[in-house]
Amino acid sequence: MSGSSSLLSWILWMPMIGVLGVLLIPKAKENAIRFWALINTAMTMILSAVLYMKFDNTIPGMQSALEIKKSWISQFNIHYHLAVDGISLPMILLTSLLLFICILASWTVKKQIKGYFALLLFLQSTVYGVFMAMDFFLFYVYWEVMLIPMFFLIGIWGGENREYAAVKFFLYTFFGSILMLVGMVALYFVTGQGEDSFNILAMSGGKFKDLTVDLFGYALPFAKVFFIALFIGFAIKVPVFPFHTWLPHAHVQAPTAISVILAGVLLKMGTYGFLRIAYPIFPSASVYFSDAIAWLGLINVIYGAFCAMAQTDVKKLVAYSSVSHMGFVMLGLAAMTVQGMNGAVLQMFNHGTSTAMMFLLIGILYERSHHRWIVRPDGTKGFGGLYTQLPVFSIVFIIAMFASMGLPGLSGFISEALIFLGIYERFTTITVIAVLGLLLGAAYLLWMFKRMFFGEVIEENKSYTDMNAREVFYMVPLCVAVILFGIWPSPLLDMMKASVGKLVSLLAMY
Amino acid sequence: MNYTVSSIAPIVLLPFFAFVINAFLARKGGKATVAAVFLACAAIAGSSIYAIRIFNDFVFGNYSADYNIHKIFTWFDLNGGGQTFTVNMGVYIDNMTAVMLLMVTVVATMIHIFSTWYMHHDMNYGRNGRFFVYMSLFTSAMLGLVLSDNLFSLFIFWELMGFCSYSLIGHYYEKEKTGDANVKAFMTTRIGDVFFLLGIVAIWNQIGSVAYVDIYRAIAEGIFTNVDNNVMGVSLAAFSGVCIFLGTIGKSAQFPLNVWLPDAMNGPTPCSALIHAATMVAAGVYLSLRIYPILEAGHLTYFVAVIGGITALGAATIALVQTDFKAVLAFSTISQLGYMVLGVGVGSYNAAFMHLITHAIFKACLFLAAGSVIHGIHLQEMPRMGGLKNKMKFTWIAMWCCTLAIAGVPFFSGFVSKDRILGDALVMATYNAKWWIPTILGFAGAFLTAFYMCRMMFLAFHGTPRDQEAYDHCHEEKLSWNRNIPLLFLSVFTLGVWFAGSLTGQGFVKLGSKDGKYEWFKTLIQKPKVEKFVDYQRQPWGSTDIKSTQTFPTAKYDNTYGLSEEAAHHVHVVHYWGAGLSVIIAFSGIFLAFLMYIKGSVNPGWWVNSFNKYYRTLQNGYFMDHLYIKGFIQKGLLPFNNLLARFDMGVYDRYGVDGWAGVTKYIMGVAKWFDNLFVDQIMVDGTGASVKVFNVILRTIQSGKIQFYIIIIVLVLLGYVLAL
Repeated sequence: MSGSSSLLSWILWMPMIGVLGVLLIPKAKENAIRFWALINTAMTMILSAVLYMKFDNTIPGMQSALEIKKSWISQFNIHYHLAVDGISLPMILLTSLLLFICILASWTVKKQIKGYFALLLFLQSTVYGVFMAMDFFLFYVYWEVMLIPMFFLIGIWGGENREYAAVKFFLYTFFGSILMLVGMVALYFVTGQGEDSFNILAMSGGKFKDLTVDLFGYALPFAKVFFIALFIGFAIKVPVFPFHTWLPHAHVQAPTAISVILAGVLLKMGTYGFLRIAYPIFPSASVYFSDAIAWLGLINVIYGAFCAMAQTDVKKLVAYSSVSHMGFVMLGLAAMTVQGMNGAVLQMFNHGTSTAMMFLLIGILYERSHHRWIVRPDGTKGFGGLYTQLPVFSIVFIIAMFASMGLPGLSGFISEALIFLGIYERFTTITVIAVLGLLLGAAYLLWMFKRMFFGEVIEENKSYTDMNAREVFYMVPLCVAVILFGIWPSPLLDMMKASVGKLVSLLAMY
Repeated sequence: MNYTVSSIAPIVLLPFFAFVINAFLARKGGKATVAAVFLACAAIAGSSIYAIRIFNDFVFGNYSADYNIHKIFTWFDLNGGGQTFTVNMGVYIDNMTAVMLLMVTVVATMIHIFSTWYMHHDMNYGRNGRFFVYMSLFTSAMLGLVLSDNLFSLFIFWELMGFCSYSLIGHYYEKEKTGDANVKAFMTTRIGDVFFLLGIVAIWNQIGSVAYVDIYRAIAEGIFTNVDNNVMGVSLAAFSGVCIFLGTIGKSAQFPLNVWLPDAMNGPTPCSALIHAATMVAAGVYLSLRIYPILEAGHLTYFVAVIGGITALGAATIALVQTDFKAVLAFSTISQLGYMVLGVGVGSYNAAFMHLITHAIFKACLFLAAGSVIHGIHLQEMPRMGGLKNKMKFTWIAMWCCTLAIAGVPFFSGFVSKDRILGDALVMATYNAKWWIPTILGFAGAFLTAFYMCRMMFLAFHGTPRDQEAYDHCHEEKLSWNRNIPLLFLSVFTLGVWFAGSLTGQGFVKLGSKDGKYEWFKTLIQKPKVEKFVDYQRQPWGSTDIKSTQTFPTAKYDNTYGLSEEAAHHVHVVHYWGAGLSVIIAFSGIFLAFLMYIKGSVNPGWWVNSFNKYYRTLQNGYFMDHLYIKGFIQKGLLPFNNLLARFDMGVYDRYGVDGWAGVTKYIMGVAKWFDNLFVDQIMVDGTGASVKVFNVILRTIQSGKIQFYIIIIVLVLLGYVLAL
């Protein structure tokens, strides 16, 4: 079963080597720590590139050549089981790219650098773990452990209200995890605690369709009950309305790099959970609940957009826009058609790049302004005339903004168009309402842009300097990704289409 | 001529590469900017050469109503895991495309050349060539749109043009006002665009493609009108037709989404000429011509005609009272676009398209001329102009040519196209009385058009200077090639003979005969006959062309519309009436303007004072801006957003989510009280002997070891599940 290549293990543990290195470097040598972290993420990125090259696009499902399966806790049949398919590979590549950029974006962090970079690399490893684990227990462990670095990164390096945000983030996600745990344990027992009782791949395929479970004296369908448990667990991460309120807090308080990882990667873990666990294991229940998922996705799209329009804090505005854009992913997932699902996975990647750009740019601006008010609470302008003051910054901002609102030619458009194509047939009414999300998306972003960038330069903005070489350097790969995948999406789609198609075919049977 | 990648693709790619290179080059300033500007002009001139070759092949070579080239390639596909889905792109060139390509490239070239003169002093070619960077992208997108073989790629280029328009309106970004104007332009058109996308999605889902030829075939097969395919209670044709036509309403500034175009004049004048007059807004009409069979199948033509009629008349009335030079032209653009849409509605397919072309040429010329006036006198208010003909003779003549064309004076291009639209409207009205509404709107608008255009000319160029100081400071017109050649070139093509004549080899230009037998435009541009597409064969990209075997001339314009002799005679008679009526109307409009502003026998001031209320309504454009911005957005949308955001954070998050913390605390309090009262006081203290026992147990449990707690939690959960 286990393949010959240990590449996945290398990618998974490379950041942990980085953590060890950071811990060994003396505290005073700050630059050494930074460069070590940078080199480490660069190494991981190279390994990911190797993974991409070894990846065979034509195979639907797991790539057996790259699979690793070793016994971990043999008493409970828990395995150290890593594998990769077309759904997780884009996420792994995205993580590698974003973490490299995040290290560069964190160059100006002043406080306790050693701890910061160690936690950041630790976080990277756990994210890989989530995207690679094919053993439910291993998945769960990584899912939970990821909270620890995240908690400290927000709670120590965050803004004024960081402790509240960190605790809220932790508790909220933990609540979801408990439900996931219940689902996991239930699956463990229902599959007879055997060899494959934690094996996500082995449990896939709708084996639990006709089972029932006795709960509070009622015989309930097993698949539906535990689909709901898993759904809530993942939905909190996405976040799906009504579990979305931790997100604005966490984003606003988190430091720039953490916002980038949060929006760029961690939110996708939720939708990845659907694609990897909830859908394949409970296909019948997924189809049964797809109406509800679609409506929730629609609420996300519209509600998130409306809330975003009212924000006066630019970071909060972008945070709500993430709620809205992740709603499109949920819509695509609910569609369960080939266009919709591919669109959803593509949107996961594209939102990762475009929203990362937005958060990075806001971080760059924040380093100069030390505030994020579009309009201050007293009604005065926080920014004005930035276009005149920061020409290069403005151009990059325009690219990020238009990519985020789905302008054709930039990456967001193709995924959104595919999602609409996918959902139309089953959910015509929802499609008609959801296109308004595109309209609102353009409205809040352009309105924000107008208030911040047009007009005369206001007095306090006159001291701002344009992007420096380091900042330009780390924005370039994202700009290229956003434009390239807008014109030529095939590299991404070719990667995912076989695996996604397989999942769609599975769902189509129910 | 053989159509290969290298004979089609450069049309789009040359300006696109110019954009990519200039995006980096132009900013450097100095010589680099000059090189960038040169590159932009050379690129568009280069693509016009390719466009001329195609035009030459279609009009002078093959000369058939049915001739087309259609090549496709796969953009991306989602085939895998047992699923299939392919997205094809391609180029579709028929006569309409060939004419559009020529018009867009040539007009764009002229405007590029003019811009080198106009933008030269505007901070080094439009702030270091920024202007030219976006102009290149814009032209490339417009040409891509014209070449598209399907609605999806048309939509992509359509949106890209929206983006370029956004950037060019915002050219003077240090002004607060431009920020408002470009957001307004983008958002208003976006309203139409999202519905356009919805229409595309609806069609794609039903027939598996959105290529024009597939749509036409599906219409011929009755898929669009089949009740099984109804969407939300209406036929697919009606649903998708309305959705896509909303795209036209947005892009072509039709009522009720007409509000953005006047504000778009905040951009530099040459970009107004190219984007907001000649090409981008015309793309909306082009789209509605391409989807004409859908509109027809969905019984939407009357709706389209009424929208066009309202726009044509409404914008004309607003233009009557404008005092800003460019504002008059902006509203006249809206009004003329209204005529094109009216033409689409009344089924006057080739006249609507001809009006698109003729309007593009004379409106580009008008804007360029207006630009040179503004450049000379440094103001835009007509009440402060007057007598300018003495200082700028050349501009004056060019502008009169265009004014006569737009007013619909015989022998000028506007007459040829507009008269046919109105004539066809009249024919429809004689068949069915409800068509009188758009017809009368159209004729009334024609009268006003002649009036306000001449008013503008008289106010600006004739009479005596009203602001002597501004007049004295106005530059004498100097002849410079990059200003005069575009003006001269475009004015020459305001003559009607280019469009009403023959270009087919019987002589370069020959007047059409009475029954229109030789008119190349009528012969080549005809309504797509959907039946023709049932057995249509596509050509893969890179294959040799499947050529029409018939030779020149393979198709003649069916002057009888396929009607019986009697009916055709009726149409003919009505057309004559229509032509006579529009000539009378045009001249009476001009005459009224003459009486008011030259002769002075009718005093405009009296009219303004007597109808002040109406005057102010017109000046404010029927308060539509007020309604949308102050009413809908400021009173409706923003308070609603604030309410929702406050609910989200202030109510839902605070009580619905954080409230759980309070509940938990309360439960903890109860537990503590229970613990104190029963466990501690009654049991523990009550039984001295039990103290030690409990101490031991509690000490073990409350070890502070986190692993132990987790084990407990897991055990409890396991036990729970096991109990199930």
